[in-house]
Amino acid sequence: MAMLEVKDLHTRFRTDDGVVKAVSGVSFSVEKGETLGIVGESGSGKSVTCLSVMGLVDQRNAELEGSVLLDGQEILNAAPKAMRDVRGTKMSMIFQDPMTSLNPVKSIGWQLEEAVLVHHDVTRKEARKRAIEILEHVKIPRADQRVDDYPHQFSGGMRQRVMIAMALINNPELVIADEPTTALDVTTQAQILNLMLDLQREFHMAIIMITHDLGVVAELAKEVVVMYGGRVVERAAVDSLFTEPQMPYTWGLLGSLPRVDVIQDRLQQISGQPPSLLRPPSGCSFNPRCEFAMDVCRQELPALEEFHAPEHLFRCHLDEETRREIWAAKQAAMAAEVTVG
Amino acid sequence: MSADGQMTEATAGAAPNGAAGSFGEELLVVENLKKYFPVTRGIVFQKQIGAVQAVDDVSFTVRQGETLGVVGESGCGKSTMGRCIMRLLEPTAGKVIFDGQDITRLKRSDMRPVRRELMMVFQDPYASLNPRKRVGFIVGEPIEVHNIGTAQQRKRRVQELLEIVGLNPEHYNRFPHEFSGGQRQRIGIARALAVNPKLIVCDEAVSALDVSVQAQILNLLKDLQREFGLTYIFIAHDLNVVRHVSDRVMVMYLGKAVEIATKQQLYTEPKHPYTAALLSAVPIANPELGRARRQIVLEGDVPNPINPPAACRFHTRCPRFATGTCDVDDPELIRRQGSGPNHLTACHFPLEKWPMSEDEVRRAPVPQQTPTPA
Repeated sequence: MAMLEVKDLHTRFRTDDGVVKAVSGVSFSVEKGETLGIVGESGSGKSVTCLSVMGLVDQRNAELEGSVLLDGQEILNAAPKAMRDVRGTKMSMIFQDPMTSLNPVKSIGWQLEEAVLVHHDVTRKEARKRAIEILEHVKIPRADQRVDDYPHQFSGGMRQRVMIAMALINNPELVIADEPTTALDVTTQAQILNLMLDLQREFHMAIIMITHDLGVVAELAKEVVVMYGGRVVERAAVDSLFTEPQMPYTWGLLGSLPRVDVIQDRLQQISGQPPSLLRPPSGCSFNPRCEFAMDVCRQELPALEEFHAPEHLFRCHLDEETRREIWAAKQAAMAAEVTVG
Repeated sequence: MSADGQMTEATAGAAPNGAAGSFGEELLVVENLKKYFPVTRGIVFQKQIGAVQAVDDVSFTVRQGETLGVVGESGCGKSTMGRCIMRLLEPTAGKVIFDGQDITRLKRSDMRPVRRELMMVFQDPYASLNPRKRVGFIVGEPIEVHNIGTAQQRKRRVQELLEIVGLNPEHYNRFPHEFSGGQRQRIGIARALAVNPKLIVCDEAVSALDVSVQAQILNLLKDLQREFGLTYIFIAHDLNVVRHVSDRVMVMYLGKAVEIATKQQLYTEPKHPYTAALLSAVPIANPELGRARRQIVLEGDVPNPINPPAACRFHTRCPRFATGTCDVDDPELIRRQGSGPNHLTACHFPLEKWPMSEDEVRRAPVPQQTPTPA
């Protein structure tokens, strides 16, 4: 059984300007101990998807529909009390910005202990022991002394380690990481990504990695979901996604990336802007920016189709022959540029 | 530096992978630039108790028509350096020579004509445009400040600029909030272009943008360079982006330039262990290559610039650290054995080859006797 199964999730926000369809019919699943990457630009609905899964969307002005099964148990629209029991112990979240997600006036020890005390009937002393133990796991030097320090006494990378420690302190089976390394420098990012891989091996938890960085996804994830305009536009195993992407937006993403292995004179850009979720374009949400858009793309939303294997799903009206030709041409164009060994 | 200055502006701009020698005259010379920010104690009787050595003794040149990329982690002084060149910050010591003129000690009034030729594009397109002014005013302000043309000519010029950067000239009367991030960055670029500058300093100009929009802006910057023979100093933390736009690249660490080389040299045969660590830390958007990659993971964090490590500033984190050399003797930024022309490295034990595994890098190096001078 999958650790998390999201089926046809819809999240809509009521605003003064109308209803924002932030997430429209998203489905995916994560197996135990595996990593799923969710890629997309700002406004693609990737963060809202995960906040909906965590039950962190404010229900007073949002509508949630569909189904979210955590270890077989339905948690979408569950009672707040039930969600509190699940959050932290079964699934937890690592946020992007550790400075704004930590309380600046409490020591990190206090904040870690709180996470233990909320879920377990233990004394503060025992909780503190657990806090030090988990800080050692995330490789904070001199954890027994640093436990009494405040967030501002830590560097950005160290703070992100504390955030990871906090997410892991109750041994969750699923960790959702929302752009955990975006605010960090490359060398620190490498440290944090390696740490997450080590911890995953040790604790065998499932990870959902939300990012806009295709590089991070390529390194960590086993399966990738590409989101655009609140929908899943492609979903595939990581190798399959990078070697035979089937959807113009994914082609654009891969082409617009300055790469280390290829020197390009010009990047293959995607023209235009991401769509408004308030007034989404009719038909395929990518059609206004798609260089291959046909009439049918403007009228009909393409269904999620299978490409050969059932694990590779995509949304596009182009037929298989055309897609293969276009991708081959794009690859040839990239390879024609000066390559470096 | 080879003295190959006969190439014209137009051809220099068109050479995509040209080496340092194939560009025009030296447009900007920075000599021993230093910027220290004082750290004081006390409210009434302030006493200086130290200094943040944000930029410490950095020297380089930029030729007409080329792009110099500057990379480094946050806090390495790359932005401070950019601001010192623009004289938005007063350098503590050193010289900035722009177009043959030392601008470091110029008076405000004498600086004004120079500012026409030196422009800057900032990181945050949300914070760097005045939200209460219309786009036409924002883009036209530099022209007005420098008293060029009549009001009508200015308006025509602004509309022309908007078109050049790919915006609709009819958006003249709109406000910044009506534009998306990528469009705002285009406005920032139009503004920088308004008075036909020679040098544009781009400080993290695409960092805040989504990848697809980032590609649009990078392509635009390249097109403009070709069309107008612009020279860029491109400051960024993203090594892939810097590689894409630059002709030469300078790597900074804790206020010092540790390596400077052509793009080709720097990315294919880095000599400084810090450059190597940076390169190996970039995630590769290709699962196959990513798995084959050999990573050099640096331990710890960047030290405090108030009290930087003695001698080589990288020695506390360097996998090649040798006691008695690296912590005693500050390596000069010079050409080292086995590196190409114009490839300068500040390291006692430069890397012999690339790629290297972490163990190979770590292997006890043999000290070089006399490094080849540049």
